[in-house]
Amino acid sequence: MSEEAAIRLSHVEQSRPHFQLGPITLEIPKGYVTAIVGPNGSGKSSTFRLLLELSKPDKGEITILGHRLGDGDDTKLKQRIGYLPELFGVHDKSMRGSYKTAFNRRWYPDWDLNRYRELLRVFEVDDSIRLGSMSKGTRRKYELALALAHHPELLLLDEPSSGLDPLAWRTMLDVLHRFMDSGDRTILMASHIVEEVKRLADYIVFMGHGRVLGVYEKDELFSNWHAFYIHSERFTRKDAEAIPGQCVIEETGGGTIRVVTKEAFAAEQWLEKEEVRLAGRQSLNLDDILAVLIEQERLRVRS
Amino acid sequence: MWLPIQINEQSAEPLYFQIEVQLRALIVSGQLSEGTLLPSIRELAQMLKCSVITVRRVYQDLESEGLLRTRQGTGTYVARVEQREMDRHRLEAVIEAIEGAVAAGKLVQCSKEELADLFREALDKHYGV
Repeated sequence: MSEEAAIRLSHVEQSRPHFQLGPITLEIPKGYVTAIVGPNGSGKSSTFRLLLELSKPDKGEITILGHRLGDGDDTKLKQRIGYLPELFGVHDKSMRGSYKTAFNRRWYPDWDLNRYRELLRVFEVDDSIRLGSMSKGTRRKYELALALAHHPELLLLDEPSSGLDPLAWRTMLDVLHRFMDSGDRTILMASHIVEEVKRLADYIVFMGHGRVLGVYEKDELFSNWHAFYIHSERFTRKDAEAIPGQCVIEETGGGTIRVVTKEAFAAEQWLEKEEVRLAGRQSLNLDDILAVLIEQERLRVRS
Repeated sequence: MWLPIQINEQSAEPLYFQIEVQLRALIVSGQLSEGTLLPSIRELAQMLKCSVITVRRVYQDLESEGLLRTRQGTGTYVARVEQREMDRHRLEAVIEAIEGAVAAGKLVQCSKEELADLFREALDKHYGV
């Protein structure tokens, strides 16, 4: 990625009795939506906590919007960031939404009341209700309006669609697309909702076991990773090992071999040259790809 | 603005290429006339459910072919296309479609003669015998 980075992590490590995060070196490009995808316990939330300075790394360095974390006063930096947490605390549940808003806006010089009102209208949220009485989805929509009302340059979203019904989900996607339209804003989100990543992300970061397994441009990822089905008596499992980019070979019964490749185009040309006829092909889903990457990482750690 | 662009996820053709071919066809066929303002990069990406990186690449490619022009701050427009250009591009899209049809035939192991018959039938159907 040669683009300007909104977030830069270099050699970041954090050791905990039950979990080792990193070393992570990663750049989140400015002007794009990047999704961190990974199973539970892969280090997504720990990474978010580091970015928000809710915890500190043991080693390495984090730079956000040009400001190195831990370097003096970061109030100004925080004013340029919007954050939507995955879970909300219980301490404010007896508070009305409007009250929390009044408290929050004091921290942001760029707070825009009209923008906030507009978002509440679009999301159909009434902020005079107590936070504890809001449904999970309403609470999320309220918090997203709160996170967007000061026109942040960087938006951090932890599982943004959790709890939203399908219609609210579409509204949220629309709001986020519009947010990005100006071209110089950045979203980093953690998600394991496949459809959400497909609809929003430009770049995908795979995480597993506290490490970054790979960073991909989304469309390239989906056009490169395909599964081929080969049905031939002459073509064996052993032959399949020579297919470019192959990472999984399995027999699916009935004499058919399924081969997953991460170089679909090269693999297709190779098969054509070898005169192997394809019985079928399939583009892979995000979770299929994640499963392969996790498996490869597991084998790498073991060896 | 909605654009009639269809994406085939199962295809081995890269996404940017699929979009480029169809957008080019819309322009050279005159369906998008000179001066038409195209959707912003983010808008088209949202519409096609692809990334802005892909759409940016498409716009850049078509701009360097002279089919689009970008005005800083206002957006991307359809450029003036010369008649000669239009004729050349016009056939390109057709050839592309025919090649696609042949590939589809080969996939189900049609013989050359069979395909030729099918093609003749289609011609007769649309142009009359």
